[in-house]
Amino acid sequence: MSGSQKPLELILARNLLTSVTTPSLLVGRGGQLLFYNEAAGALLGRPFEDVGQMAPDEWTRAFGPFEDDGSPTPIEDLPLTDALREGRPAHGEFRIRFSDGAYHRIAASAMPIVGGGDGASGAMVIFWPVDDEKAREVTTGRHEVVR
Amino acid sequence: MRVKVWGARGSVPAPGPEMNRYGGNTSCCEVTLSSGETLILDAGTGIRTLGFSLPPDLPRINILLTHLHLDHIQGLMFFPPCFRAESSIRIWGPSSPEASLEARIARYISAPLSPVEVRELPCEVSFLDAPASEWQIGSATIRAEAVTHRGPTLGFRITDGDTTLCYIPDHEPGLGAALGELDPEWISGFNLACDADLLIHDCQYTDEEYPGHEGWGHSPIDDTITFARRVGAKRVLLFHHDPLHTDGFLDDLHRSAAARWVSLGGSEGAVEIAQERAEIVVEASGTGEETAPAPVSSTKVPAPANQVSV
Ligand SMILES: [Zn+2]
Ligand SMILES: [Zn+2]
Repeated sequence: MSGSQKPLELILARNLLTSVTTPSLLVGRGGQLLFYNEAAGALLGRPFEDVGQMAPDEWTRAFGPFEDDGSPTPIEDLPLTDALREGRPAHGEFRIRFSDGAYHRIAASAMPIVGGGDGASGAMVIFWPVDDEKAREVTTGRHEVVR
Repeated sequence: MRVKVWGARGSVPAPGPEMNRYGGNTSCCEVTLSSGETLILDAGTGIRTLGFSLPPDLPRINILLTHLHLDHIQGLMFFPPCFRAESSIRIWGPSSPEASLEARIARYISAPLSPVEVRELPCEVSFLDAPASEWQIGSATIRAEAVTHRGPTLGFRITDGDTTLCYIPDHEPGLGAALGELDPEWISGFNLACDADLLIHDCQYTDEEYPGHEGWGHSPIDDTITFARRVGAKRVLLFHHDPLHTDGFLDDLHRSAAARWVSLGGSEGAVEIAQERAEIVVEASGTGEETAPAPVSSTKVPAPANQVSV
């Protein structure tokens, strides 16, 4: 028996993210990356199936966000940490690395997912490039899905 | 463990001559544990006739409700032990931040829908939130977990000695998910049903009917079988029949489900379909016997029109 089955609210959140074309990711209670959708994969340059679940320091090292000096932003400074710890939505703007290898600014909103258990079981993070052209592509769903 | 089906229908009672073999009563199963204790799974209209068969001196009656859709509680108000002062009834169900289980059930057992109020029932009755951790009833260890349906809904895993029964009558695990490909940790109900000796599961729609009913909380037969194979169930009992599915239609549904099971590597004879009054012995070996008559063949009926399902 698998002892690590995700709580239903996370299963349903993943199903939702699979069905939307807004770049989004799902993190667990401890900030670990549980899933990101195809739209996010298109921006990040790698489909989720290629990377799988990752520890917080692992995914922030790979994808950012990054400070101006190139170092990854500590996870404590990300909106998802506020969402998980305080159980409230949080928002911020950051620099991440896109599939083109260049750094782009994104806006990210994190929403805690609170189910039947104690506190948030995870958070959903929705993000948008604030670079005009990329933003237009994403919001009109015209970005290519990386496969 | 023994299971007796008292109602296998979903959504709404469906009496009629074309429903006689599978029955028209809504969800209710009686489980007899090795300790002799009785568990009742859901209180659809089937619980009324079950109530007449229970010995009047049964010390305690345990009812596990998966959720509060009417097809799972409608029989409660007509359950004969509720009207006996000597009855002691414990009812478990899903918790809600909105109101207690008793208050939510009382919306049905109260005016103007009912001539009696919960507080007027002469029996001793208690309403309990299904605990987040396992609990014990008689010789059984029970686990309840939330599953994909519309509204807060539980599935139950009941383990008695080395035998496990899983009951998930209303379930749409394939909603927005590719059941055949997902890792187990992302499949609703996986832990509940894992390696169950008998899985009693939703089979409301044919694959052809499902496209008009996505998100209604029920499974197309292909998802039912894929789910059962993924969790490693030894046997499957197709349950929660659509009220439009006649005896002949269900015979065909059963045949196509059994063929799908075998095509996915399952063993012959492991897929059964719930018939009212059928009794099933659940054994750890994965073998057992169904004492109800086997379904007989009949001509296929056209897919019924859209309707509300709960
Ligand atoms: Zn139902
Ligand atoms: Zn239901």
